[in-house]
Amino acid sequence: MQGFVATITPFNLWMATLGCFFGTIVGILPGLGPSATIAILLPLTFEMDATPAMIMMTCIYYGAKYAGSTTSILINLPGEGASVVTTFDGYQMARQGRAGSALGISAIGSFIGGIMGTFGLIFIAVPLAKFSLKFGPAEYFSLILMGMLTIIFVGGKSIKKSIMSGLIGLGLGVVGADIVEGAPRFVYGIAELRDGISFILIVMGVFGVGEVLVSAEERMKTESIKVKFKDLWPTIDDVLVSKWAILRGTVVGFFVGALPGAGTTIASFISYGIEKGVAKDPERFGKGAIEGVAGPETANNSATSGAMVPLLALGIPGSGATAVMLGALMMYGLKPGPMLFATSPDFVWALIASMFIGNVILVIMNLPMVPIFASALRIPYSYMYPAIMLICIIGAFSLNMSVIDVGIMLLFGVFGYFMKKFDIPGAPMVIALVLGPMLEYSLYQALALSYGDVTTFITRPISGTLLGITAIMTVAVCFKMVRMKRAMIEEDDN
Amino acid sequence: MKKSDRVFSIICIGLSLWLILESLKYDFLEKYTPGPGFMPFWLGVVLLIFSIALLIETFVKKNGKEVKKRLLPPRHSLYRLGLIMLITAGFSLVMNFLGFTLSVILYVPVILFFMEGINITKSVIAGLAFGVCIFLIFQYWMEVNLPTGFWGF
Repeated sequence: MQGFVATITPFNLWMATLGCFFGTIVGILPGLGPSATIAILLPLTFEMDATPAMIMMTCIYYGAKYAGSTTSILINLPGEGASVVTTFDGYQMARQGRAGSALGISAIGSFIGGIMGTFGLIFIAVPLAKFSLKFGPAEYFSLILMGMLTIIFVGGKSIKKSIMSGLIGLGLGVVGADIVEGAPRFVYGIAELRDGISFILIVMGVFGVGEVLVSAEERMKTESIKVKFKDLWPTIDDVLVSKWAILRGTVVGFFVGALPGAGTTIASFISYGIEKGVAKDPERFGKGAIEGVAGPETANNSATSGAMVPLLALGIPGSGATAVMLGALMMYGLKPGPMLFATSPDFVWALIASMFIGNVILVIMNLPMVPIFASALRIPYSYMYPAIMLICIIGAFSLNMSVIDVGIMLLFGVFGYFMKKFDIPGAPMVIALVLGPMLEYSLYQALALSYGDVTTFITRPISGTLLGITAIMTVAVCFKMVRMKRAMIEEDDN
Repeated sequence: MKKSDRVFSIICIGLSLWLILESLKYDFLEKYTPGPGFMPFWLGVVLLIFSIALLIETFVKKNGKEVKKRLLPPRHSLYRLGLIMLITAGFSLVMNFLGFTLSVILYVPVILFFMEGINITKSVIAGLAFGVCIFLIFQYWMEVNLPTGFWGF
């Protein structure tokens, strides 16, 4: 209660509201993620106390997760990494005239995930953070491998093409300095490639510019989606259909988010894989299944709370944005870790209280504004796509102030266009691009620690369990493919 | 989709062979750990296997329900897409000289008038509106570092 009292001051509430607003803006804009925004705003908070500054940063983080789904749903352009998966079904729902339902259930799921995740943070922080420290490189390798294969197996009509898309993503991920010797791989003397190809550029190119080109090819008769105001809210049926997805997303998101380095993106993809796997009719997914929005968006926000667990309890950042927050805390002379709860309890509980308040502010900000967001679809696409192109260019340019990055994004836009024309799923490529470097690094670390003993991945219990699940999943998918092939051959013979 | 799958698989075969050959330039294994060439080599090998599998699949006779689809869009569509990308690339190149805002004021009317056939007055008004909004939101309020050119905005 003291934490809530400390938070409910006019200035702290103002900082929370400002943080939610900035987070919403950057969540919508591709390129400017919460990490970058927190880093940009950090110098402005040096003259403040730690509490209001951290409240604002936490709310920026939450706001970005809430709002990242808005552009995913409305224009098939993820605002940030964890909203990539929302494009699969959210955009399809918008095309079917259900944009309001998608946005609404996203806000509701995000709220529930955020609130329940914060409760989880309160009750599980210390013991869970201790358990997640048992995850070594071998466990991370196995977890990442399982996550990648889950996405590949459940995404796209053709598993071969999904796998090939994933492999292309892994290939893009090896560009740049390698983690072993720092040797530049596939750089060819281009300085901008030494740090690798930015995931943001590829996402903006493939999902933003690529989609614009596909729509532009269709001669753009400005077929804006007509939405009636009375349809701009999720129905009771939508909420009831999504309830189990929201519950599962909360649990999955929190535990995945609590793993250092796992992040909200992995949580959202795993949630999507689970929802598609448990669905009685998985063929609905990718065509506007509301569970495909509810689960990942809930997991996304629950993971945001989960990511705060290792940060506050052990001083280990759970994501990029929390890594920036860790730096901010140290600048304020606060040492995150188990002692933080003992030496600065007012700060910790005020921060946790602000997470509750931030979620309330965000759902109030997002739900009533759903009609405004959905009505944006009435703007003719002729005016929308130059705006989308410009936003992508701003996002690409602001990464490194480089026109080369803009060029790379446009090239990937062309690549994304042909991927769509050739019916090659983009999601496996994107997830592999994000997870590939982490996979390689985990492999390297695990083998270094075990002096080259590859059995470490099986002999370590947690890693062995994760690999076992992966193997069972792979066998099940192969079995299913063989059955489908036999059915096709029998149909041909008949 | 056979034609597109065939083209895609041939491209991927080329890509995988390139990956394999390039990875041989790097160390494959270190004392206990994979070297820089390890990951791209195996990526290339696995991609090659799946690419060949997909290519073979396109030659296997399937049932007659397969919908025949054009490999590439019609010529006028390609021309249109090429122009949009050319205009956008041109915008990216001039924005450092003219400044982002002025470039937007020029870019939007060009796209709307020449590509979408929208009335010139509406196109210019839209261009000005886009330019002002982008300046106010990104350069003034959010202080995003966008090229300013010699006009200062």
